[in-house]
Amino acid sequence: MQITVSLHGVFRIDRFKQKMLKYREDSSAQKIIDDLKIPVKLLGIILINGTHAKADDILHDGDTLMLLPLLEGG
Amino acid sequence: MKIQTTDPVAHPERIFYRRCTVDLKTGSIKIEDIPCRNLEDVLGGFGRSFQQLAEREIKTAYCAENPLIVNTGLLTGSSAMTGLRTYFSSYSPIKKSKQGMSAAMWSAGSGKFGAKFKWTGLDELIFENRSEKPVYVLIKETINGPEVELKSADHLLGLSTHKKIMTLHQAHNDAHFAAIGQAGENWQNVTMGSVALSTVNQLKSGDDKLRFAGRGGMGSMMGYKNILALVAQSEDKNLPISDAVKKVHTQVIKGGGAARLQPIKRGGGGGTWAAYDVMQPFNAVPINNYRPQGNDLPEELFRENVEKNYDIQSAACYRCGITCHNYISEKNADGSRGEFIAKFDYEPLNLLGTNIGIHEAGQAGRLIQLCDNYGMDAISLGVTVSYALSYNERHPENLLFNGANFGDYEKICELVILAGEGKLPDIGKGSKYLSELMGETDYAYHIKGLELAAYLPETNPGYCWAIAGGHMSMGSYGTLIREGISDVNSWVKVITEDKLHIVGFDMIGLCKFFDITQGIGTQMVVDCLKSEFDFEIKPEKIKDAVRRSFLLGLALELRQGYTKSEYCLPAEVVNNPNPHIKLPNITNKEFIAALDEKVWNVFDAELLKINLNKI
Ligand code: SF4
Repeated sequence: MQITVSLHGVFRIDRFKQKMLKYREDSSAQKIIDDLKIPVKLLGIILINGTHAKADDILHDGDTLMLLPLLEGG
Repeated sequence: MKIQTTDPVAHPERIFYRRCTVDLKTGSIKIEDIPCRNLEDVLGGFGRSFQQLAEREIKTAYCAENPLIVNTGLLTGSSAMTGLRTYFSSYSPIKKSKQGMSAAMWSAGSGKFGAKFKWTGLDELIFENRSEKPVYVLIKETINGPEVELKSADHLLGLSTHKKIMTLHQAHNDAHFAAIGQAGENWQNVTMGSVALSTVNQLKSGDDKLRFAGRGGMGSMMGYKNILALVAQSEDKNLPISDAVKKVHTQVIKGGGAARLQPIKRGGGGGTWAAYDVMQPFNAVPINNYRPQGNDLPEELFRENVEKNYDIQSAACYRCGITCHNYISEKNADGSRGEFIAKFDYEPLNLLGTNIGIHEAGQAGRLIQLCDNYGMDAISLGVTVSYALSYNERHPENLLFNGANFGDYEKICELVILAGEGKLPDIGKGSKYLSELMGETDYAYHIKGLELAAYLPETNPGYCWAIAGGHMSMGSYGTLIREGISDVNSWVKVITEDKLHIVGFDMIGLCKFFDITQGIGTQMVVDCLKSEFDFEIKPEKIKDAVRRSFLLGLALELRQGYTKSEYCLPAEVVNNPNPHIKLPNITNKEFIAALDEKVWNVFDAELLKINLNKI
């Protein structure tokens, strides 16, 4: 299946802004997070098709996965 | 502190804090050890100062009876990381109810002044009345204990925050400083004056690398009292860090909140500024008076874009490994670091940058620098300016001031300078004042008279119950973006249980980044208290004290004439929903009405138990 992966903030460093990636059916967001070596301690927000999601949520063909760092401003 | 117990909950009276009361009218100075009444007194900060303010019936900030209380927290000056906080408390000249009564307020800042103050042997300094002549206050550590002296400050009059500090630095070794700028000196026309706190980086480099206790006009209160600066002179007390505290530090650095703030080269996100990258995908970066337009303009202030033209350096306060802020400097032709411009923290950057239509980093930096040097609260100033610019956008036929529009850098500079010099009171007195003057209050982004932080109110209805400014006294500002929580009951819990605990940091002397998700009622804090003072205390007892202090803050607001209808978001947010924000709408009338009722149900039941006359 095809997943559009969109990265934000420091996750773009040495990776990409947005890319279409091929994955096996029933892959979870976690699988992509692991493959991209996104640091767990910085990962704050996971969105699937614009909706807040969890790492173990299963993706479907055509989904957009957005990964954003933690928000702790001030 | 004099500590004669290991149980601060059962025996607070066996813990004494050292207070100095200065009567600025007579010059009398009294130093005494005061037994604590409860755990709030032991923890310090606003937990103690609000009990003192509650004892006074003050209607208007600028009156002789309104004290200015300078204190620290229990862990200020300790080996615990971020233990550098100083607190300034008073009835506020800017935060006022619609009835016109001043609200009790505190403001907190880092830098090294707090630790130096604590190391003089003093825990609290109360200023009564006002001085006839401008003075600065020298607080010294001596072999006989702390000494406090009032000194003539004629030579400091008219100087910026930075210049005052550097002038005093020439005269006093081994000292750190708290100073107001011209804005605080012009307290009649500027109620948003801040207090600048010196940093090691500032004194070493000679650059204006300050930290601030910005909120609530505490610098204006200092100006009213005719105190231009405080000097804390003491030897550093760097005791060895115990294994227990070292373990806590590792947790702080690696833990949730702080990890995000670490410099990029240490695997972090690069300071508070990085909030831009997280909020922009939701169109939630405040732009043009909190009205995102669904465009990519905020991206111009993304780090990756700023770095092309400017030098960026991660920065930290004394002995702090969190490194939450950045410095921006000019970049020389050869790529080396040029002249220092300003600190780049998220709030000032947004509110004196994107939110006033300034998208060029150097210009935003110069505005922050002006604001810092005049000694104004960057949040109040930025939001009041953005109100004026939005007014001009709505009324091209009836322009305010110099007719500045969003993005008019030169004209905005002029407004900031005039406000800082006390020549533009309509800006200097804040957005509540200006919007009431103009008869258009819907577009003024303040709640209860205090301007909002740089998080859209559409993302944070919890702002309404913050007792001392949105992002410092109600930690709900990231909840919608971070977790997507959009049901009323969860928000009630967020406001009445989880996120009010952020105020605990402004009791104990630590920065919120120590553990932003959990607050201070944690094993980490318990371990620090055991190591530093041999205290036996349970996290729950700390949490209880924090909650009591928060509720006292609410009770004090209500006593100062606030009605519940004043606990509301700016009307534009509710009446004219912004279609560009890509988040669930949790600020519509129905949601707000339900939230209001449920939150007050919880708080009202507890407020009934507070008897302000018995404090
Ligand atoms: S967290 Fe930031 S403001 Fe607080 S002490 Fe550390 S560097 Fe200073």
